[in-house]
Amino acid sequence: MTQPNECQPINIIREEGISTHFSQNINKKVLILTEAFPFMFIGEIISVVDDFVEMKVQNTSIPALEGKTWFVHIDSIEVFYIETETGIKIPELKE
Amino acid sequence: MKRHYHVVAIPIRIVLNTFGDHNPNGMMYVLKENEEKVKRLVKKNPFMPVDLVQPLFIRANEGDVVEILFENKLPFHAGMHFQEAEYDVCQSDGANVGYNKETTVAPCEKILYKLHLMKEGNYYFSDLGNVSSDQNGSNSNGLVGGLCVQSRFSWWTDPETGKPINSGQYADVHHPLLPSFREYVWMFTDEMEVDDLTGNRPINHFSNQEEESFHGANYRYEPENRREQLVAEGVVCPNCEGEEVHHDSWVFGDPSTPILRGYVGDPAKIRLFHGGVKETHVFHYHVHQWFSDPSDLASEIFDAQAISPQSHYTIQPLYGLGSLQGSFGDAVIHCHLYPHFVAGMWGMNRVFNTLQDGSQCYPNGVPIKSLKPLPDRPAPPKPTKMKPGFPNFIPGKVGMKAPRPPMGIVGGRGLTELERNAAITNPRPGAVFTDPCPEGAPVKEFNISLIEIPLIYNREGWHDLTGRIFVLDEDLEDICLGKKAPEPLVIHESSHTRYQINFTNRLPHILDGDAFQLVTRTYEAGMHIHFVKFDVLVNDGANVGWNYDSSVLSGETIQYSYYADTELKAWFFHDHLFPGAHQQHGVFGTGVVHPRFTKYLDSTTGEEVDQGTEVTCVNPLIPDYRDFVIFAQDFTHLVNKDGKPLAPPPFPGSPDDPGLFGVNYKNEPLQFRLGKDCDPAYSFSSYVKGDPITPIFKAYEGDSIRIRLLQGAQEESHSFNVHGLRWLHERGDLNSRLENQQHIGISESFTMEMNVPRSGDYLWTFETEEDLWNGLWGLIRAFDEKVPELIKLPDRPEPKERSTPLPECTGIRPPSAADPTVEIVKGPLRKYDVVAFQTSIQYNSFGDHDPDAIIFALREDMEAIQNGEIEPVPLILRGNVGDTVDVTLTSYLKPELFPFKDGIYPYPIVKEQAFYPPSLRISLHAQLLDYDVKTSAGETVGFNGDQTVGPGESRTYRWYVDSAVGVCGMWDMADIRNHRSQGAFGAFIAEPRGTEYLDPYTLQPASTGASVILRNPYLPDTREFVIVMHDGVRLLDKNNQVIFDPVDGILLAPPGIDEDLLDTYDQGSRGFNYRSERLINRYLEHAKIHDLFSSDVFGDPSTPIFESYVGDPVTIRLVTPAERRRSHTFHLHGHRWKSDSKNIHSRTESNVGFNVAGAKRNLQLLGGAGAYNGFSGDFMYRSGNIRWDIEQGMWGIMRVFEELKKHLPKLDQ
Repeated sequence: MTQPNECQPINIIREEGISTHFSQNINKKVLILTEAFPFMFIGEIISVVDDFVEMKVQNTSIPALEGKTWFVHIDSIEVFYIETETGIKIPELKE
Repeated sequence: MKRHYHVVAIPIRIVLNTFGDHNPNGMMYVLKENEEKVKRLVKKNPFMPVDLVQPLFIRANEGDVVEILFENKLPFHAGMHFQEAEYDVCQSDGANVGYNKETTVAPCEKILYKLHLMKEGNYYFSDLGNVSSDQNGSNSNGLVGGLCVQSRFSWWTDPETGKPINSGQYADVHHPLLPSFREYVWMFTDEMEVDDLTGNRPINHFSNQEEESFHGANYRYEPENRREQLVAEGVVCPNCEGEEVHHDSWVFGDPSTPILRGYVGDPAKIRLFHGGVKETHVFHYHVHQWFSDPSDLASEIFDAQAISPQSHYTIQPLYGLGSLQGSFGDAVIHCHLYPHFVAGMWGMNRVFNTLQDGSQCYPNGVPIKSLKPLPDRPAPPKPTKMKPGFPNFIPGKVGMKAPRPPMGIVGGRGLTELERNAAITNPRPGAVFTDPCPEGAPVKEFNISLIEIPLIYNREGWHDLTGRIFVLDEDLEDICLGKKAPEPLVIHESSHTRYQINFTNRLPHILDGDAFQLVTRTYEAGMHIHFVKFDVLVNDGANVGWNYDSSVLSGETIQYSYYADTELKAWFFHDHLFPGAHQQHGVFGTGVVHPRFTKYLDSTTGEEVDQGTEVTCVNPLIPDYRDFVIFAQDFTHLVNKDGKPLAPPPFPGSPDDPGLFGVNYKNEPLQFRLGKDCDPAYSFSSYVKGDPITPIFKAYEGDSIRIRLLQGAQEESHSFNVHGLRWLHERGDLNSRLENQQHIGISESFTMEMNVPRSGDYLWTFETEEDLWNGLWGLIRAFDEKVPELIKLPDRPEPKERSTPLPECTGIRPPSAADPTVEIVKGPLRKYDVVAFQTSIQYNSFGDHDPDAIIFALREDMEAIQNGEIEPVPLILRGNVGDTVDVTLTSYLKPELFPFKDGIYPYPIVKEQAFYPPSLRISLHAQLLDYDVKTSAGETVGFNGDQTVGPGESRTYRWYVDSAVGVCGMWDMADIRNHRSQGAFGAFIAEPRGTEYLDPYTLQPASTGASVILRNPYLPDTREFVIVMHDGVRLLDKNNQVIFDPVDGILLAPPGIDEDLLDTYDQGSRGFNYRSERLINRYLEHAKIHDLFSSDVFGDPSTPIFESYVGDPVTIRLVTPAERRRSHTFHLHGHRWKSDSKNIHSRTESNVGFNVAGAKRNLQLLGGAGAYNGFSGDFMYRSGNIRWDIEQGMWGIMRVFEELKKHLPKLDQ
């Protein structure tokens, strides 16, 4: 992560911070909420490409969109939670 | 763009079907260019329908100015009044209102109307020159039409020829940027005069009595009676009964009613208008769903939608024709109210899967008209001999009932060669020609049977001997042995589920006869479903058009297959073969489609379940919730414990409002709730007579709950209210308004989601007087501490161990509720001192009055009202967000002033009238505000304490205004028979923080009143007009004779109308704000119908005149606190508003439907007074019900001045 720079707009710093955070959690399970369709993703972080998160989606609100690789732009992420050893687990969703 | 139409109103004989039923005195609007042609064709075909005889449907684009040259060739003054449009009210109103210039025209004269079309949508038009509700009136005889306004730059063509058209019910609409779509106009019409071939009223061949009144669409109807006659006389389909083949084209060919044709996947819009005069209908369209607001993706999804007279919607089926699954075949469209459906109010959407170029025929040899593919979509394949397309691969026999579907029936047949060619690659039972289920969807199997079993509705032994219900097969034995109580079947599954249903018909062949109905063979049954995705040809659970008959005989089992694609709330299911005969016996159920990954637990044991009207739902992602299902019922055929029929119809088989009411096969009539002291004030109290037998849904304080509201049977509107709770009207939209009331018609489904903020007993009701009287109420009981019969929601904190015993029935009056005012108030405190007393109310200047009224008023006004210095008006209170409002109520009711000491009113009546002496206690209940139901609900309910007051007693309620919800109804809940329709109601307005209320004439602070100026430092000064719509009033005339409204108010009425023939819920007078300007009074002074709204002739009406200046911001607060089940439409001429004032995406409209007890809306006029174009004049506000509201006085005037008047200060902008 680059050091905060007084000349850099705060949004750039924030975006870089989120990208870095996702990069540090490759192969971890993540829950993401977006304002736009399909609103929710649960899956595994595969990689971070620029400001896109590549993820293997296990669950969304629409079953037909599951089991696929998705690129989610970090600007569209409203809320996220990455499962680590210390925090609570993201629920296992079974039908 | 300017468009011009020349419209002529002509008398015309309207032939309504191929059986020759006709209206000899019909009237229609027609384009001048078609006038001679239509007259010639009608003369040539006196007993056959003529295509050109249809309501006039014309088109224009948003932003257009449309000039209508209207020519009147009728023998009375007539005009065209347009809803939704803006226009100069003195030039183009199509009416003669107030001091406006007359804009109806005399016979043989013309007038030019000029309309500004502000927004895409449906613009209804009708005549206001002759508003008689009788057969001499214009509207019921057909003088109605629709202007369909398209997006800018659109054009339209004939679907058959592809050439431009000027009018008509079918058009293909095109646009340079947007997809082309099929436009179908569907106009419900009702109560038209009908003669048969012999010129007499049609006779029902089964009962030998006069047929049900006309219910149709686009001047057509296809009655079951007529088709049944062909069966009974052996012309077609031997061994059939009638209802099961009512919609079967194999037997009868296609109906005369509209058939909306398209290809699979075509985008479509149905412009739905209600051109009828009286009934609220429910539009239901098989296979398809749509948004309640097509432009708002957060709006509710419907597949059945109620519609009140003179209102309208655009139905835009999601995914186009055939829905997501691309189902082709015939999807029936109908009014779901069974008496109307049976009377002939139905048609079809025919979805073809092969190209129709005019060279094909239906199986009966009738040519299939050509249908141009939409230009921006690929053409469907041409039919071939081996793949002829729908319907020609179906192995049916003309004149006989439709064949059973292949594969579905256990032990049934396989596919023919043509069927195999038409089928999908891997057909299976229930999904032969379309597979709605994606691969891999989890499968859930239910084994469901339909059985006959007696149902006991209440503790007094009222029962239905021939109850018919759906049950799971595994419960069959327990229910039949009485080990398990019958309730409507509710199955639970989550979205993304493939339902596999094995449905067994275990009904007897015969539905027995009794006082309610004649013996009927009901030898086959099916399970028709709403909302879920399915193959309509084989899986509709119905027998429609050229489809298969997807039902089974007694003793047979059929397999159905559905898919729930998303969380779909509660999908309704019922039989579609004999619903008119037996659905009111209980043949309905629902499947609730929950969010994915939900589990359903028994709320008492915590065991996992998959059925039940009350379950606890657990989900790993969203808050856990309680799920409650409520079914309303009417036409319930009940007998008492001695076998006496309750509210039987005039003769067996009559559709004339037979029977009583139920909710989940139960009811708790108020006549049985009186304790030893016979005081109605404690009718809802569990202390006096114990808990009701109707559902008491359980929760802990703070729990999240979902109520699934449905109506299972059979014809009428009901008004569901929950006292003390509220929900977002559009559940998925945080911008939606808050509600605590929902109108419902049969087959509609609503989900209400909310939290229960505090412990206590919350009353739910179907609030109209007759429903409530006959027992449609129950409780939601929220516990403060642990009880053994209710598990906690897993994601909620553990409830406290019980420290005090639960209350029990004592048989005596309940203890007084605690005083809410002991708590310290934070923020502003507003106090009102309210009194309740009896007085006489003059409803108009002609002497119509209610001498026995009960009103609420501020104490400071009581003396002046009693002295006649102030005329009584409904009490209007106001408060601002953040206020705590203490309302102290004192009763001054006197026993000697009640006209009927036993509570039995000779008119207007309710069904099953009984001893219910007037209570001297009274209360004040308010909607939507925040309060503790244990102290301030203004009612004595369940095990809450007494909140009513006796003579001379006072009690203070404490309400918190936590949201600017606008208008809230207020009414008495101590005695719903003897107080409320007599005037014991008013309204509370919750205003934005910091608002002052000023008298509009003095600009002094106002403490009450229906017309005020709202002044707020952050908002423009706004005029607020409160309109209280109410009915069921017992009025006397100037000679102190009872007015038998509506009959006494009918204009041009033929002699001999019997008020006993009216439905009970039509009885009584009606109006706005304790006033009613009954037109009959005016007519008797000046017998010219078109002048009856004129102030030049009569002076202003007694109903409120709301005054403003052009451009003034205006908010109308519309509220219906009382009383009867007939729903009214409200319409204001020349103005529009957002259907939800808090949601900018909601549709604009100029009418509000479903005004029944508990309904309320806030109408912020777009563009202010005079609308965007700033027109001045007298704008009529009124009911949209020609029968029986406008004549009976439900109209008034909003007066918009252009120039400053001395008496009315202008707003400080």
